[in-house]
Amino acid sequence: MKDALTMANINLFAVLQNLVELCKFDESSKELIQDQQITISFTIKNGPYARLIFDKGKCSFTCKHGKSNIKLYFKSPEHFNQMIEGKANPIPLKGFTHLKFLTNDFITLTERLSYYLRPNDELLKNPTYFKINTYLSAYAAFYALGEIGNTDPIGKMNAGRIPNGNIMIAVDQGPALYIEAGDGKLNVRKGIPKQYRASMTFKNLETANSILNGKIDSYSCIATGDLQMRGFIPMLDNMNKLLAQVPFYLS
Amino acid sequence: MEPYKYPKSKELFQRALKVLPSGVYGHLGPAESCFIPVDAYPVFSSKAKGAYFWDVDGNRFIDYMCAYGPNVLGYNDEDVDQAAKEQLKLSNCVTSPSSVMVDLAELMVDTVEMADWTFFAKNGGDTTSFALMIARAATGRKKVVLVKGGYHGVAPWTQKLGYPGITPEDVDNNLYVNWNDYEQFERIVKEHKGEIACFLATPYHHPIFEDNQLPEKGYWQKIRNLCTKEGIVLAIDDVRCGFRLDVKGSDHYFGFKADLMCFCKALGNGFNFSAICGIDDLKDAAASVMYTGSYWLSAVPFAAGIATINKLKTINGPEIMDKRGVALTTGLKDAAKANGFNLKISGHPSMWYMRITDDNSLMLHQEWVAECVRRGIFFTNHHNLFMNCAVSEEDIDYSLEVADEAFRILHSRHRM
Repeated sequence: MKDALTMANINLFAVLQNLVELCKFDESSKELIQDQQITISFTIKNGPYARLIFDKGKCSFTCKHGKSNIKLYFKSPEHFNQMIEGKANPIPLKGFTHLKFLTNDFITLTERLSYYLRPNDELLKNPTYFKINTYLSAYAAFYALGEIGNTDPIGKMNAGRIPNGNIMIAVDQGPALYIEAGDGKLNVRKGIPKQYRASMTFKNLETANSILNGKIDSYSCIATGDLQMRGFIPMLDNMNKLLAQVPFYLS
Repeated sequence: MEPYKYPKSKELFQRALKVLPSGVYGHLGPAESCFIPVDAYPVFSSKAKGAYFWDVDGNRFIDYMCAYGPNVLGYNDEDVDQAAKEQLKLSNCVTSPSSVMVDLAELMVDTVEMADWTFFAKNGGDTTSFALMIARAATGRKKVVLVKGGYHGVAPWTQKLGYPGITPEDVDNNLYVNWNDYEQFERIVKEHKGEIACFLATPYHHPIFEDNQLPEKGYWQKIRNLCTKEGIVLAIDDVRCGFRLDVKGSDHYFGFKADLMCFCKALGNGFNFSAICGIDDLKDAAASVMYTGSYWLSAVPFAAGIATINKLKTINGPEIMDKRGVALTTGLKDAAKANGFNLKISGHPSMWYMRITDDNSLMLHQEWVAECVRRGIFFTNHHNLFMNCAVSEEDIDYSLEVADEAFRILHSRHRM
């Protein structure tokens, strides 16, 4: 059973946060926010909080409280999840003069995000699409993994079994991120850490894309060396159990 | 030394991936095990003899994993193989079991100090699961106390909630204590008075990725006393250690008497059977549990088992393996030190665990092991290793030579 709070965290931190990358990689998205200076805050009762900042062609994301042009309120994690599924509307508390951005441009951006996160074989033949899909899928999957480890009841058990330290996850010539594990709490960050106790390296974008899109299984890739694991393997072993839960939430 | 290459192994593995989950599944496979990096290791063997196996590319390895334990006398031991062949001429899997089963049961009871009876199965996991069922049948209780990090097979109750395929009900009756922490066990027994059927543990703690720990002085004797007082069955998982430390059982080696002892790996020198031995008080309970399998009473492995156990007793196998283990591990530590590294050895010398302590990610250790494997010394990274009786002094000298070269490579990469 999907846990509503975990799902809300994933929707906010793994899915919506991906707008940051979308606006970096996708020219039409970048163009769409070229002249915008708008901050949207998402307040979810009994759930997470975050702000999306669009600033003249750049998009950023923060959990820190601050000023917003548009304040969206959700009665519960379930309400927020329904909004993401297109089955409910947010409650706007502020920013009525900016509603046009919300109903037009923001919707276009999220549709563009869905376009890149829901590939098919034909779309993946396009190298640009393929690259963007790989980056966005990787960020969505591993940020979702972090949320599952921090919130989902079974996920918390596996996160609690991850020894303290950094796990580096990288695609050769592609995205890199790392998971800070500390006493059962997980923080996912982009980039390569200065130090790490374990690493998982995808041989190339093709391998990463095939694994993330469920076309090949990760165990076969570990066995062939296309997915290389090094270091303190219990960290990866327990992390992989969280990764196995990701499709359940993101599908 | 020229490092090995594995083109045929890789080719065969590509075929395997198409028709077998993860190519080679389980602990002998590169995905589930401690083969890091995987390209340092062969995947398939072509033949084995004595202390060695050869891969499909023709590379020879001195094998310190011993098929994860079963190779105790040396691969294809002539006495064991001969006994198996002779039995095969007579019968193997038949409607009525062969009399050789009784011969082996008598030998087990005469050999294992605590044993009043024995029962045969196929895997170590069969026996640990059966031990729990016997304890539950005998006591009418449902809970079991296990040591954190202990390995007792792959049945659902041995795994953890959150692992694929495991439900809360599978592990609901498990209670966990830390190794060597008698007081914690005492507290749990008090908290669950009258509910605990069994305390199941290995004779010494040999988890993967951790230094192995021998029992502290008096630990087992205190556990034994409390189990007796509280009516808890004391079951020992001697699947890995059994017949390597002591043919009389590892409980005997550590100076206590278990109620149930689970054996497997070293019993048949690779011929597959396992055994659980028990005390008279538990014989009826064992008989009452419905427990069997299609090949559990096959005669050929039993004949091999008799030959293996008799030979281990005749040559004093545990002493040979202990002596060779001490020689190898002492040499490995010295080779590490000579090259500026610290190799920590823990556990029993015939079944030791080793770890380069110079980094907490164990990446240095993985590099060193990989260089050893590429030069014909088969270790895995983070599992205890196994000695066998066929390893010669020359094999140990050669192993140390390779280990030294591997440390020198490590030094040139990291300590320039």
